[in-house]
Amino acid sequence: MTEPGSTRFTPQTPGTSRPAPANMPATRPLMRWRGVDLITAAMLAVAFGVVFWGFDTFIYPILSTATAGFPPLGELMLGVWLLPAVVGGLVIRRPGAALFTELVAANVEMFLGNKWGAAVLLSAVLQGLGVELALALFRHRRFGVLVAVLAGVLAAVFEIVFYEWHSYVAAYSSAWKAIYLVCGMVSGAVIAGVGGWFLVRALARTGALNAFPPGQEVRESNSV
Amino acid sequence: MSPTQSETGQPESRVLVETSHLASGALVEVSDLTWRPFGRREPVLAGITLRIEAGSRVLLAGPSGSGKSTLLRALAGVLTTTETGKLTGSVLVNGSAAGTLVGLMVQDPADALVAGQVGRDVAFGPESFGMPRDQIWSRVRSALASVGFPYGEDHPTSALSGGEAQRLALAGVLALTPRLVLLDEPTSMLDPDSAAVVREAIICAVHDSGATLVMVEHQLCHWVDQVDRLVVLAPGGRVSADGPVAATLARSADSLAAQGVWVPDVAFPLPLEVPRALCAPTLAVGSGGSGGSGGSGLSGGLSGSVSPGGSGASGASGGLSGLSGLSGLSAASGPLLVAAESVSVIRQARRSVMSANRPSTVTQALLEVCAEVSAGECVAVIGPSGAGKSTLTALLAGVDEPTRGRVRGVGPLLAGVSASPSEVIHRWASRDLAARFGWVPQQAEQAVVARTVRGDVLSTSRRLGLNEDAAGARADALLAVLGLSALAGADPHYLSGGEQRRLALAGAIAHGPSVLVLDEPSVGQDRVTWAAVAGVVVAARDAGVGVVLATHDPLLIALADRRITLRSGRIVDASFDPRAQLPPGERSAASPLAGRAHPLADPREGVTPPHARPSSLWSGLVFSRTGFTGRWTGLASRSGPLSLLLASIVLVLGAPFIIDLRTALIAIGAEIALAPMVLGLGRPPWRRLLPGLFTVASVSFSNWLLSPGREVSTGALAGLRVAFFVVPSVLLVSRIDPSALGDHLGQRLRLPARPVVAAVAALHRFEGLGKTWDQLARVRRVRGLQAGRSLPGRARSVAALTFGLLIETLRQAGRMAVAMEARGFSAAVPSTSPAGSPAPRRTWAEPAPWLLSDSVMLALGLMVAAVPLFVPRV
Repeated sequence: MTEPGSTRFTPQTPGTSRPAPANMPATRPLMRWRGVDLITAAMLAVAFGVVFWGFDTFIYPILSTATAGFPPLGELMLGVWLLPAVVGGLVIRRPGAALFTELVAANVEMFLGNKWGAAVLLSAVLQGLGVELALALFRHRRFGVLVAVLAGVLAAVFEIVFYEWHSYVAAYSSAWKAIYLVCGMVSGAVIAGVGGWFLVRALARTGALNAFPPGQEVRESNSV
Repeated sequence: MSPTQSETGQPESRVLVETSHLASGALVEVSDLTWRPFGRREPVLAGITLRIEAGSRVLLAGPSGSGKSTLLRALAGVLTTTETGKLTGSVLVNGSAAGTLVGLMVQDPADALVAGQVGRDVAFGPESFGMPRDQIWSRVRSALASVGFPYGEDHPTSALSGGEAQRLALAGVLALTPRLVLLDEPTSMLDPDSAAVVREAIICAVHDSGATLVMVEHQLCHWVDQVDRLVVLAPGGRVSADGPVAATLARSADSLAAQGVWVPDVAFPLPLEVPRALCAPTLAVGSGGSGGSGGSGLSGGLSGSVSPGGSGASGASGGLSGLSGLSGLSAASGPLLVAAESVSVIRQARRSVMSANRPSTVTQALLEVCAEVSAGECVAVIGPSGAGKSTLTALLAGVDEPTRGRVRGVGPLLAGVSASPSEVIHRWASRDLAARFGWVPQQAEQAVVARTVRGDVLSTSRRLGLNEDAAGARADALLAVLGLSALAGADPHYLSGGEQRRLALAGAIAHGPSVLVLDEPSVGQDRVTWAAVAGVVVAARDAGVGVVLATHDPLLIALADRRITLRSGRIVDASFDPRAQLPPGERSAASPLAGRAHPLADPREGVTPPHARPSSLWSGLVFSRTGFTGRWTGLASRSGPLSLLLASIVLVLGAPFIIDLRTALIAIGAEIALAPMVLGLGRPPWRRLLPGLFTVASVSFSNWLLSPGREVSTGALAGLRVAFFVVPSVLLVSRIDPSALGDHLGQRLRLPARPVVAAVAALHRFEGLGKTWDQLARVRRVRGLQAGRSLPGRARSVAALTFGLLIETLRQAGRMAVAMEARGFSAAVPSTSPAGSPAPRRTWAEPAPWLLSDSVMLALGLMVAAVPLFVPRV
């Protein structure tokens, strides 16, 4: 375990010579996750578990009467549950980050006792893959608000088309299935996409993301 | 711990065998180490060169911001874990880079916790470096023994006091038998009794191991006799003094003290003189009003004569009077403001990710406590950790609700309050509470409510509609007093811990509350900033505010007029104490007040909150294996996590094959028939089932409503199809222990170890993050920022709390990453292990057996899932 006469310290910041890029990728190689990447993604997921609990406690009871009577309306809230995937992907910026974050968040829900049981894991995989696809389409080099919106939309599409159409809304008429899908896509775009993107940017401005590309973007745009 | 005992005959252990160095500590050579984080102009460490001889013990001192903790992280090789920047120079430990040779203990023991059980937590380091299982456990045992840990390996880590958690963290470091032990302010978060026990454990354990020791401490007095060298860092990250303790101290004690370091044999600091007007209540309460209460004549002394509102606020250093003149003990205090009437608090742990399938813990946090706060007095709430100080102070600030009894606002406070009954303060509207109360929680970093420091201090004044100019002037003067003027435009999250605590104090007093409740206001303060904090406390009291302090700080306790001593949730002494004086010129290494302030014969008692086993009253809430002892508890309780999870998932896959009502009824009938065998006998856990049953109802209804033909059978079929997998799945996964699932995923399914380990460690934080959420909500309430009950109001609240929680989460994740990397979290990654040696493969302290019951469970799951396929079509 020894490496005589060396230091293991090398500056690990990517793109330090480049002028304030708006879309800073994670360190190369992309698949080499740092420890802090994994721990942060997992912790974000658990924090979102707490947020879901708060959402369920303070907001959902008010909405639930409306949504129980007319579920497509409830699907307008789908984006809240897609946030971990989008935020995880936008913060860590490595392949698999969105999937990992969403999957851990789903585990929190499952262990806490939820209304879907282990099916929530299946949903998480589909939602996470939706975000992964969007980020991969831009080769993990673009993380602007439009990419985030696409990620939110694809997550909603994967969830609804590959799962909910066949389980929870299987008997809907085709028109209602389409309306249901559109509601989910709008929610994914607005809450998870735009909302997630602004959330990451706001977090970066507090310095809480300094160890990650969004934090470095903020710092470099300040220093120029 | 004997360093050699477990080192013989372990050819499989590739990494931990360092026999050549085991007998002694490591030699540390730091040469020209410079570190400048990106985004900062000035380096934090500037050309540090040090040679630390093997086996020596070094105390690292210096004012806040001199780079002490940074240097420690550099020695541990984890500087770049959470920060990016330019690092030059080198650190060599026994001639090589850091590895198992180096152990780092971080400041807050909570950041080091990775497991639910004590033994598993200590095992983290050995697991990371690939030690075989049998050796892991002997290591764990000897490490726990070496720190004198009082509980066994199975003790839950959630039921530890701060001191116990810190000793556990030390054991976790020592389990790797490091030759260089690095300690970052190991006792700063602890009460004096616990700190003494931890110090003892550190001294013994490090002495026994023979390791080299480098530690950072603010309070030098307890350590100077235990170390043989003192290295002083100056602002800017340079070594300003270095040498044997006594000689170095003699040379630099005065300059260190002037820079704020708590140096032994230098007189205690005095509260800063702060104009009373800065702290005066806005509402006229009692006779004193904003002009100061009756206490001023005798004891206010010099501080009372400073004209309010002036520029004198800034920079007055030290007081002229002795501490003896500052205690308002002679004053008849003003009218009664708040009274807690026989309050009890019973805490039931929130439903947690990790304990969902265990009986929930019920804690009696307070038992029939009575307390009163009057205008113009300072009450210190004291007692060991876990005695209920924070609980009582939260009640007195109106941010928490007693289980029994009530906390009333009295007389002058009640004017204009619109609650019913009007005197119960926890029922008050957020704005009403904010106008009358100020509160600083123990976790002051969670008190941030705005984007800039100045905006944060002003936010409650603005919310209450106070005059903007006057409020602004007061806020600026408070920032000046508390040494935060230069940071007025900064984001509060960039502040250090000590700065955030002072900011929280400024925010709590700026709008002129009548009652000021402070939970540990002096933690993390150096001599200079301590004087400012104490000055604000004294000025508030003299201005007629009722001040409540929960504190371990003997100097602060000495300022109080009265104390309430708690122990295990009860008051043991609430007498007026006319002593409260430090003998003038008292210069003692050990604080003379420590003994008197904590009149506890047995420090162990009260450190652990009394845990009551749940009675039947509570166990109905949570499905528990133990709740059904003596009865058949079901196949599920004999199955491992993997088979339970797989059985749940295959049911989801079977559901689409249910295409008619008859099939649905047969399939669900099969499930019901198997339920007693799988789940055991007993009442179904309705509470867990309720959300799932609600889902089934909602799915049935909506599929009926929105289907083409609106046939009842269509809705029923849709509902039953969902019920087929949701109901069993909810019940099966409630039997899964998340930690065990991690072990199985890593060993049975061979998933990559690091993500699994990170996820399990994070799941253990769920409860803590839930408490953070609650605390953030309390802060918003007492600052007047709680939005209304309307939907937009609630949405705003949830959004603000989410943002605050995520910031806290990210910071905690960073600290966790440092602690975990220091224990080898990424040791098994090829890129991070040094060239030439094969990366160790992570081992697992717990086995992941697949038993017959697992096979049966999975087979049953597959059979039931296949039922829809084999029901004969009619």
